[in-house]
Amino acid sequence: MFPFMKIVKVKRKSMIINYTIAIILGLGGGLAVGAGFVAFLTVLGVIPRLTQLTKTKNYIRFYEWGVIVGAVTGSWISLREPIFRLPSILVVFIGLFAGVFVGLLAAALTEVLNVFPILAKRVGVAEKITYLLMAIVFGKIFGSLFHWIYFVDR
Amino acid sequence: MKDEMVYIRMRHRVQATISQNVKIGDLAQIVANDDVRQLVSVIPIHQVIKEDKKLIVIDVMKVIKAINEKYPNFEVQTMGVAQTIIEVFIKKKSIKPVYFIAVWLLLFIGAGLAVMNFHEDVSMQEVHQKLYEIITGEENPKPLLLQIPYSIGLGLGMILFFNHLFKKRINEEPSPLEVEMFNYQQALDHYVSVHENSESETKINDH
Repeated sequence: MFPFMKIVKVKRKSMIINYTIAIILGLGGGLAVGAGFVAFLTVLGVIPRLTQLTKTKNYIRFYEWGVIVGAVTGSWISLREPIFRLPSILVVFIGLFAGVFVGLLAAALTEVLNVFPILAKRVGVAEKITYLLMAIVFGKIFGSLFHWIYFVDR
Repeated sequence: MKDEMVYIRMRHRVQATISQNVKIGDLAQIVANDDVRQLVSVIPIHQVIKEDKKLIVIDVMKVIKAINEKYPNFEVQTMGVAQTIIEVFIKKKSIKPVYFIAVWLLLFIGAGLAVMNFHEDVSMQEVHQKLYEIITGEENPKPLLLQIPYSIGLGLGMILFFNHLFKKRINEEPSPLEVEMFNYQQALDHYVSVHENSESETKINDH
């Protein structure tokens, strides 16, 4: 036996340990982030709201899987950065759906924080609350467009 | 001899004007024989005076007492809530349009700024650039083809959540906002009915 064989063996052993640690770390981190993401979605109640609007309560299992598959695909894409070379019209739909999702989250967050009932009571505009809602909606759209078209160049 | 049953259910909230004499019939639903109901519903309970606060709480015990004093042979059964809140209707001040516009602008600018800060915070620009490159294979520092639909979708998502398109509703269910307003009002009413009600908090020993 040559002495360097032993060194290689030790190195391989330590590599296996390192990989195992890396796998456990990755799995643990992913578990925490995934659980947190689902908890966040649950607290905000976006999925129940969507099923209520579309009257598709029976398909809620599939929606769960949609979220899971979406999260896994997203994390894979963001880590591997593959290039697909698809027609660029596709990004219009992706952008629209991404926007709707973020809008749902933003609306749910406003709602969870109980901003509107208090504001409407204080200012005394309970019956004009729809217009205040529209102020926020237009503010979001305008702010977002302003950001992308003008602000990012500054 | 107690022979006439009177069933009473207090209403949640009642509006009254200044100098109105509030009767039991205004405060509660009454079920009894027709003539008995007539007699009971006109018993006065509270005279609203100028010195009253905006909200007056009437406990069901006061109602029972009033009935017992006048007609001792009626047996009263109560159900539902124990207090009615009388909201004294002071001449409604209509909000000045200036205030409304100010609040509107506040929300508009605030919402816009909040979304810009959010985009900067999560490096949305980089994410969009990367996403555009992943899908189309081209590099684009300003992927507006992705970002303009995104911005419109942002507003669409909020409208979807609140189920409100100006006056038009997307479906008939109450929107989360209406439920939230209801919950808030309920919590306020509960607070008022406990804290403004002199009967519900009594000190047994004074130190």
